[in-house]
Amino acid sequence: MIIDPITIALITLGGALIGLGVHFIPVGGAPAAMAQATGVGTGTVQLAAGAGLTGLISAGYMYNFLATSGSFTTSDLILVLASGAVGAMIMITVTMFIGQLVYVYCVGVPPVSAKVDKDPITGDIQDIYVSQGTEGHGVPTVSFVSGTIGGLFGGVGGSLVYVQLMEIGNTPADPAVVALAGIFATGVFYVNAVLASYNIGGTIEGFHDPKFKRVPKAIISCLIASLICAIIAVPIMGGVS
Amino acid sequence: MSTAAGGPATGGLPPNTIIAIGVIGGLAGIYLTMLNQTFNTTIFSVMGGIGSIFAVVWGADAVRRVCSYGLGTGVPSIGMVALGMGVVAAIFGLIIPETGILPIPAILGPVISFIVAALVGLIIGLLSNKVLNMNIPIMEKSMIEIAGAGCLVMMGLSASIAGSFAFNDAILPSVVSTGYIAIVFIGGAMTILHPFNANLGPDETQFRTLYVAIEKAALTMVIAGFASLTAIDAVSAALTVLVGLAIFLVYFDKFMKSVHREAYKVVGTGLLPSAEELE
Repeated sequence: MIIDPITIALITLGGALIGLGVHFIPVGGAPAAMAQATGVGTGTVQLAAGAGLTGLISAGYMYNFLATSGSFTTSDLILVLASGAVGAMIMITVTMFIGQLVYVYCVGVPPVSAKVDKDPITGDIQDIYVSQGTEGHGVPTVSFVSGTIGGLFGGVGGSLVYVQLMEIGNTPADPAVVALAGIFATGVFYVNAVLASYNIGGTIEGFHDPKFKRVPKAIISCLIASLICAIIAVPIMGGVS
Repeated sequence: MSTAAGGPATGGLPPNTIIAIGVIGGLAGIYLTMLNQTFNTTIFSVMGGIGSIFAVVWGADAVRRVCSYGLGTGVPSIGMVALGMGVVAAIFGLIIPETGILPIPAILGPVISFIVAALVGLIIGLLSNKVLNMNIPIMEKSMIEIAGAGCLVMMGLSASIAGSFAFNDAILPSVVSTGYIAIVFIGGAMTILHPFNANLGPDETQFRTLYVAIEKAALTMVIAGFASLTAIDAVSAALTVLVGLAIFLVYFDKFMKSVHREAYKVVGTGLLPSAEELE
């Protein structure tokens, strides 16, 4: 059996895209759960995994639809990646939107960023609306857009890993191959999401946050970690088929 | 958010004792499922579940030690990364002897998985400390331990469901194809991350955390027992469920007793007052 370098490279790229995507998602952690920080009130890993796994499901559906009906071409690959991206984006936007409703109408705080004086997208003034002693509230426009971009990268990355693993297995209807590729993609997803969240170190508002400048370090780490996972995963998927 | 940030965890059993318990107990449990093949039965599947309990104790203690420094991202992240690394390494180690790429006897599968998990853990730990500058002194060692424990938990529960750790003959049809691997993944991660997450704080003690670890691992073993109903026969599955329930009851009782002993005071608040009582 030959270990295909292109497959390994694409799985590694998928892992790095997941790590990049995590940095875009507005994560507030425990402070945001009390509406004392900008972002959705849960951890990076939970948010990224929620969006990423939804992306995997939608990508898996599209892959199953396209691959079982005939040969799998490059344009099919793009369709699967788009399906995964849309799935992840829907999941993260719905989470942010419902969270926003709770923050605005139940907690009673204005969505505001504490990291910038003016919203980079709408130009709205931010700093005067931040309550004293807090680090912003809710999901302001710029964080919402950033989170959607995060869903896009995370979904594409996760689907890319899944599709490459399925392509090595080469039997899209075999439940063993599907389950193995799914659980491996999940494993790779968690490793990269956690490494990225360690880089963020708790909370981030989105691409306008000063912490976003740390992205290159996360990309390097995710590339190395995904490369190792890919080298391990490729012979396994080859061994099943 | 970890509220217990600050310094190394103290008290209780020394780390090396726990590591020995985890490695030896975990591997022994996985290998004892081979008695199934020796005696042509499936009754020894329960040993896989018991082995996973030893591995969970080790994993939960390693999480406790590393998270005492404060990760900044919450304790659950490290449990998910443990099983993320563990599942990749476990399947690799179990499948590699069976593919015939390398001349390794199939019996060494769990050991190979364990070594691969430790290597992946070392690399993730090095990346966290050296590239991402987390500056946690025991990060590399803890990541090795957590990945190793995650890998053993994954193999132990799978062996308990399938009745054997042979990949293509047992685990692939019984655990992977059926989708039970998702339960093993999330259940295993929960057992490793939950004990410290539930107990963290200034009054956290090792024994109380580890009681929760054993109790959670026993509950996961019960779930594995139910899953094995469809994979192996009902008697063996019932044995796994009953042993798991017994361990759960014993250690839940121990946990509750230690909570009552270590709390300042335990009082019953009663039910919420009704509208008439408030007037």
